[in-house]
Amino acid sequence: MVGSINPRAVRWLRGQLPELVAAGAISSESAAAIERHYGSVESRGNFGFVILATVGAALVGAGIILLIAHNWDDLSRATRTIIAFIPLLIAQALVFFVLMRRNESRPWREAVAIFDVAAVATAISLISQTYQIQGTFDAFMRIWLVLSIPIVYLLRTTLGAIVYVVGTMVWLFNHWTLFGGPQNPNFFWLFLLLVIPYFLIRYRQLRDSRETVALAMVLALATIVALGFTAEYAKADIGSVAFAGLMTTIYLAGMKFFARTDKRLSALALLGGIGLGVTAIVLSFESIWRMSSRDLEWAKRSAEANLSLAIELLFPLATVCLAGWDLFRREWRFSLPAAAFPIIAAFAWTITNLCDYVNTSTRCSFAAATIINCYTLLLGIDILGRGIRTNSIARANFGLLLIAALAIARFFDSDLSFVTRGIGFIVVGAGFLVANIVLFKKRGATA
Amino acid sequence: MKRLAVLIFVLVALAQLAVPASIVWKRGQTLAHGRVWKFKTEPVDPIDAIRGRYIALRLAAEKARATPDPLFKDVAGPVFVTLKEDPEGFAQVDQISTERITGDNVIQVENGYWSDGWQRVRFPFDKLWVAEKIAPQAEQAYRENSRRGKENAYVTVRIRNGDAALEQLYIDNKPLADYLRDQEMKKPATP
Repeated sequence: MVGSINPRAVRWLRGQLPELVAAGAISSESAAAIERHYGSVESRGNFGFVILATVGAALVGAGIILLIAHNWDDLSRATRTIIAFIPLLIAQALVFFVLMRRNESRPWREAVAIFDVAAVATAISLISQTYQIQGTFDAFMRIWLVLSIPIVYLLRTTLGAIVYVVGTMVWLFNHWTLFGGPQNPNFFWLFLLLVIPYFLIRYRQLRDSRETVALAMVLALATIVALGFTAEYAKADIGSVAFAGLMTTIYLAGMKFFARTDKRLSALALLGGIGLGVTAIVLSFESIWRMSSRDLEWAKRSAEANLSLAIELLFPLATVCLAGWDLFRREWRFSLPAAAFPIIAAFAWTITNLCDYVNTSTRCSFAAATIINCYTLLLGIDILGRGIRTNSIARANFGLLLIAALAIARFFDSDLSFVTRGIGFIVVGAGFLVANIVLFKKRGATA
Repeated sequence: MKRLAVLIFVLVALAQLAVPASIVWKRGQTLAHGRVWKFKTEPVDPIDAIRGRYIALRLAAEKARATPDPLFKDVAGPVFVTLKEDPEGFAQVDQISTERITGDNVIQVENGYWSDGWQRVRFPFDKLWVAEKIAPQAEQAYRENSRRGKENAYVTVRIRNGDAALEQLYIDNKPLADYLRDQEMKKPATP
């Protein structure tokens, strides 16, 4: 029984393992097997306790702050300064204790990590208030993130890593509107890079644990949001290709790195798949393909905007590498039309840029949108087909939903002529009918 | 491995302590040695005056120019201003630059845009934290002395090498705490 295992006993046993191996009482394989057994026990059994311990630490921290605040007004500036450091010093003493004595206890590590990063924020805030510092929230978040990330590694805290990623998002939203205008968001990517090695370590150790999956999801969501800011800042009108690349990369990574033994999709692949569908629908609108700027010449643009552009292009590149590798080794499990999305988007982007920039509907923008419409239809049919093959109702429905969304999108696309809309509807409707006929025939055949 | 982790943690802990400590040190230096500037407050929107435990200050010197300044049109980063004293001894904006300058009369400001016929800047001190106990009285005193016809309040700010430290709110030429104490004593004793 997992629940009846005493963590102290497990700690003691783990401490004994090297000695037992040295004495020849058990083999090193047996020691590794015991280690693995208790490793999985810890990861399964402790999660609820970890959450409770973390919340507890946060409450204790808040309580200390309230106690301090109670008599705050009557204290001199010097006293307030000293008191502001106390929670931080307590937290640091606890981190030291955990590193020395409780390094194998996850609840201890997670709780103390949260307490320490909260204490850093408290100390900076209290000092700022005492000294009438009104620095921007942006600067506060930045310094806080830098001071917090080493704790994630030292205490191996996945909850801490998730909180850190959320913090980078808060920073990004705040930074964007600083000084009233769009600000360079590239720092976000540096912040994100700082947590990636931690994620990789976690992935290698505990690939299937809920926390690892949760961290992967949070990282993916943060990347999606940040790419929006980055594309806006780059002003290169290539966000369509970048987003197609990102969503496909998330989908492919979910399929490849979080592959499941059953035929169900991993959470990450599901997120990527939904993102892919939504992006395809968005790109199927003709107005998306009207290019608003053409200052793509590298040298004429600022270095920061060029860096943003380079970051944007990383995602389609990642798709090509991920998909290319599996295709080369002939062992892909993903949907080929889905993997082709960034290439199709890049093709549409090239087509739309063939016409001169006029900021209205052109033959080229129309052609680009048509390409994406055909592609989305094909993608919907492919997902539907995969749903039928794997007997996955959810997947088949998602394919149908994609096709239906495409049809609805065309209905509201008022810029298209009635004739074009009519033809589009007939094509989509015919596709829908054919897909349904195939679905039911197949169902009938298997039944 | 454990020793390395502890060593790294010691460095991290020092960095965590150094950030607030450096604020204390820098502000302490500015408050001790900075040049004192007086900033006259402006009439405030009563609803806007107090937010929790701080007074939202509106400073007259934020009206930097009476004509639109082309410098502010596209600026999306920090702006630096130098200060000078007007005939009454209150601070007002002298020069404006997008290049970094330092000195005991320089403040980094934000673009405040063009509004109500003024090219505005935003100083990095628009909130004055006040003790919770005196917050309601402080709000009332500030409001009464920062309205049209009775502009009787100013703040002192110490500036040193570009660091501006808000020092004190003066009402009727008295520090806020003293003013409130005097007001309290003037009140007729309730039987």
